[in-house]
Amino acid sequence: MSSFLISRRSLLQGAASALVLQGALLSALPSLAHAEDAPRGGRLIVAADSEPRNLNPAIVASNGVFFIASKVIEPLAEAALDGEGALAPRLATSWEGSEDGLSITFKLREGVTWHDGKPFTSADVAFSAMEVWKPLQNLGRIVFANLDAVETPDDHTAVFRFSAPTPIQLIRNALPVVTSVLPKHLYEGTEIANNPANSALVGTGPFKFAEYKPGEYYRLTRNDAYWGEGQPKLDEIIFRILPDRAAAASALEAGEIQLAAFSQVPLVDLERISKVPGLKVVTEGYEALTYQLVVEINHRNEILADLKVRQAIAHAIDKNFVVDTVFLGFAEAATGPVPQNAPEFYNPETPEYAFDIDKANALLDEAGHPRGADGTRFALRLLPAPFFSETRQFGDYLRQALAEIGIDVQIVANDTPAHLKAVYTDHDFDIAVGSPVFRGDPAISTTILVQSGIADGVPFSNQGGYANAELDAIIAEAAETVDTEARTALYNDFQRIVAEDLPLINVAEWGFTTVASTRVVNVGNNPRWAVSNWADTGLTP
Amino acid sequence: MNRAWLLARRRILSSIPVLLIVVIGTFFLLEMASGDAVDAYLVTLGGDAGLAQSLRERYGLDQSALARLWLYAGSLARLDLGFSVAFNRPILDLILERLPNTLWLMGSAIAMAFTFGTLFGIVAGARPGSAADRALSIGSLALYAVPSFWLGLVLSLVFAVQLRWFPTAGIETIASGKTGFARALDIARHLVLPVSALGFIYLALFLRMMRAGMAEVWRQDFVLAARAKGLARRRIVLRHVARNALLPLVTMLGLQAATMLGGSVVIESVFAIPGFGRLAHEAVAARDAPLLMGIIVVSAVLVIVVNLLVDLAYAWLDPRVGSGEASS
Amino acid sequence: MRRFALRFLRSPEGMVGLVLLACLVAMALLAPFVFPRDPLSIVGRPLIAPFTDASLPLGTDRLGRDVLAGLMHGARASLLVGVFAALVAVAVGTVVGTVAGFAGGLIDEALMRVVDAFQVVPAFLLALAFVSVTGPSLPVIVFAVALGAWTGPARLARAEVLSIRERDYVAAARAIGMHPAEIAFKEVLPNALPPVLALVSVIVASAVLIEAALSFLNLGDPNIVTWGSMIAEGRNVLRTAPFLSIVPGFGLVLTVLGVYLFGEGLVEAMAHRRGRQ
Repeated sequence: MSSFLISRRSLLQGAASALVLQGALLSALPSLAHAEDAPRGGRLIVAADSEPRNLNPAIVASNGVFFIASKVIEPLAEAALDGEGALAPRLATSWEGSEDGLSITFKLREGVTWHDGKPFTSADVAFSAMEVWKPLQNLGRIVFANLDAVETPDDHTAVFRFSAPTPIQLIRNALPVVTSVLPKHLYEGTEIANNPANSALVGTGPFKFAEYKPGEYYRLTRNDAYWGEGQPKLDEIIFRILPDRAAAASALEAGEIQLAAFSQVPLVDLERISKVPGLKVVTEGYEALTYQLVVEINHRNEILADLKVRQAIAHAIDKNFVVDTVFLGFAEAATGPVPQNAPEFYNPETPEYAFDIDKANALLDEAGHPRGADGTRFALRLLPAPFFSETRQFGDYLRQALAEIGIDVQIVANDTPAHLKAVYTDHDFDIAVGSPVFRGDPAISTTILVQSGIADGVPFSNQGGYANAELDAIIAEAAETVDTEARTALYNDFQRIVAEDLPLINVAEWGFTTVASTRVVNVGNNPRWAVSNWADTGLTP
Repeated sequence: MNRAWLLARRRILSSIPVLLIVVIGTFFLLEMASGDAVDAYLVTLGGDAGLAQSLRERYGLDQSALARLWLYAGSLARLDLGFSVAFNRPILDLILERLPNTLWLMGSAIAMAFTFGTLFGIVAGARPGSAADRALSIGSLALYAVPSFWLGLVLSLVFAVQLRWFPTAGIETIASGKTGFARALDIARHLVLPVSALGFIYLALFLRMMRAGMAEVWRQDFVLAARAKGLARRRIVLRHVARNALLPLVTMLGLQAATMLGGSVVIESVFAIPGFGRLAHEAVAARDAPLLMGIIVVSAVLVIVVNLLVDLAYAWLDPRVGSGEASS
Repeated sequence: MRRFALRFLRSPEGMVGLVLLACLVAMALLAPFVFPRDPLSIVGRPLIAPFTDASLPLGTDRLGRDVLAGLMHGARASLLVGVFAALVAVAVGTVVGTVAGFAGGLIDEALMRVVDAFQVVPAFLLALAFVSVTGPSLPVIVFAVALGAWTGPARLARAEVLSIRERDYVAAARAIGMHPAEIAFKEVLPNALPPVLALVSVIVASAVLIEAALSFLNLGDPNIVTWGSMIAEGRNVLRTAPFLSIVPGFGLVLTVLGVYLFGEGLVEAMAHRRGRQ
């Protein structure tokens, strides 16, 4: 058991350090090597655990949607292990920002057609940006807030014009997630949010949307007119809906499916399943999809408003235990609000909170919360997010960990909508366990967790009533700092202050795992693999 | 036939207020919920406060509870079940799509449980106290106490993963293009494990009832008379004892319809069958009040119809039951 | 009453049921003394196999919690859910049934329609909806189970009342000028109770199973251990550590069995008693 854990962990660390060095070392790591030559043909059956209500990735930029839709609808660029800014061109072939940060010019790929045969042009990009990404998309509403217009001097050039300086770094980091391009000719003049093409997708990607049987499967078929040479490899991808957590592992073992991504096979099953002949466990392919395990704190609670108490809680959490037991080694202990596998931003020099019960107890004594006759100091209500079994399990652990330092924790279990309402709208919690996603740039996903002045009801944001003028100023300045180095420096300060003042406590960061048949090749060969287009993925006979 | 028609009409009339209570009850139950359909939807995308507000307006969730109930009741009266926010589709479509799967599952489970339950019950009850009787009684008790989800997991582990006799999940081989008899066979293969997991507990129930019923009938005068006449034991068992013990089972069948529908929630998730029970679970998780109401109303109608059929069957089996007092 | 007890003890079902239940109750009562710590606290390495460590005889679970402690404390919770759900269901059901049966007319009609409404909705669906809507905690689960179980006692009580109502002693009570409500609850109810009590075993057994199924769907109370929640936890490691769900599974089966057999013995003893009347 333990040797297995260590090997998996070192693999993870290997993946992280490879990212730091980028490029140079990559060819030395066989598991991360570039596209092997995959044979053509075959049907890949993949487990899916949910059926998104709206499958349009230009409107709903979330991993659940991308998992299926990214094979059909493409972004301007995809994340890559190397290349300029760690990006691989897709519908755009190059991008350049102006000095003043007020415009960005995209050169678009030529000779691309939509699945219905119409040509892809800059008009599609302009339409998607102005009519969909900016007004309708969950993340585009933030990234493109200052987008004024998109000019199309010719069919293959799109110039984005901004009303305020917009950092090219931010746009670049956001490209894979926020720029799924929709066909203008199908959406123009319709009510975009209710367009039938939101479920029967039409895109430019390597696979065409063929069929959806609710509750059973999605079927995608090969796009013979795809622009990528010799791609795609597969004839067909079927996403089979298996809601039960045990189902994916059973179906893999019985040979009914060939791949389960996003840790659909529970972590505890991996050791056993890695020994099943014909199956492999792949931990790569999630480097740019890092989830963070955090303790959210309601600063309206007077006890928790005291920094000493928050420090005590941080010292009471044994991050290594969490990594080893809750995540079985498939995670890393966190040091601050930016994960270690985002080397562009990660600041290692932040204050650390070692696991130290005595210190935690001392801090609580200092803060004026002596133990009562029954050994408890005060009581807190803990709301663990129900999104992952790991978040729930960490909630169970946290209750025990805080009991050690005399904090009596009552767990309030909610289902998803009730949890969202309680934490992000009603603020009816003391501490909560959350799992925000790091989306490649702190401005898209991270600053919102500590920024003040956010309206009630915004999910996955600072709803703990925390306000820090210094942090707010840094966030505002970074939003308009065009120079990449200066912007990165600002986020270094940001990380230090968050780790010092603990508006929330970062505990661990994790990627997911994929279990696949050994017949499937090119699994996990880019940092957003599970939500990328799978054009080079193949199936050996 | 006339008597049957009277019974049916009485039942249908009395079920209207029942359905009304069900609708209103379900509505207020979901009204008590924390978080609405938009909260459930936002979890997948995040988004800002403006987005949440505009979504609520679009789905009419910004209106008062009573206004929404009134709207819903109005459309229901026109036999329109409404539109599902969670699935972005008409509710009737969703239900019609899922219902057949659940009916197959439940129907097969009931048929299996009833057939084998009575059969084994007769075997056990034919000679009370015999070795067969004891073995069957103990076996049925054990089955009766095993949670169905647990049974489902173990069955799938043994027969699908290890032995590979049956598929692990689903209602049919996906995108197989099978039709006609081949497809029916395929569906049957998929149903074996879930039907067993769902039906075994009822099998045990029917077995025990049958046995108990037969024990009762053995003591009655006409059986004693038959035995005194020197009729063959087999003939007494089948013609007299079993037949009379069967009646309460038919009633039980109606009573268990609702329970079984509830049991299918768990079985459908374990075996990934896109059925009615799973839809109900999804409706609750997505806070889709109209959808859940639609499901509960349809399942209530289903239960009422099953009970009506059971009553009709009972009236037909036992002429002593008149059209007068059969409902309560 | 003594005869009744004797008759009960003479039935083999009743005896076995009684012994099983006595063991369970003993386990439940002893749990806080044998394991004074919170059974959810982490006491060792995760996933220690049973019978390998003397201090943790049944091993530990995914987070390193003592399985034996969980099992004993779980008996407590499971029995509590079963007993309280049955109590609530029988109390509510009997009152509603008695009122309906005694009042008759429009009140009877209205109450029975409500009973019908609850009866046509699958009990598990109702419990599922209720628990996910109000958030899982032990009282909520008890109530949710009772919600689907009170109609049986209500119907039985009403039927009994209808048959008892016309009997002599009720007529006598009416003649001496007792208030109808007084008659209902002092004279009729106690006589209608025995058959209703026979239903209790069925309700307790199904309550224990419903709680387990709810836990299985992640709708259990996270602050306490129940056998259902242990099975639900264990099913994630069903393949690597099957004992984690088999051990509480056995507990569950034995409980349901015990309750059921006990009930059967009760019914049998009662049948004889009623037969004599």
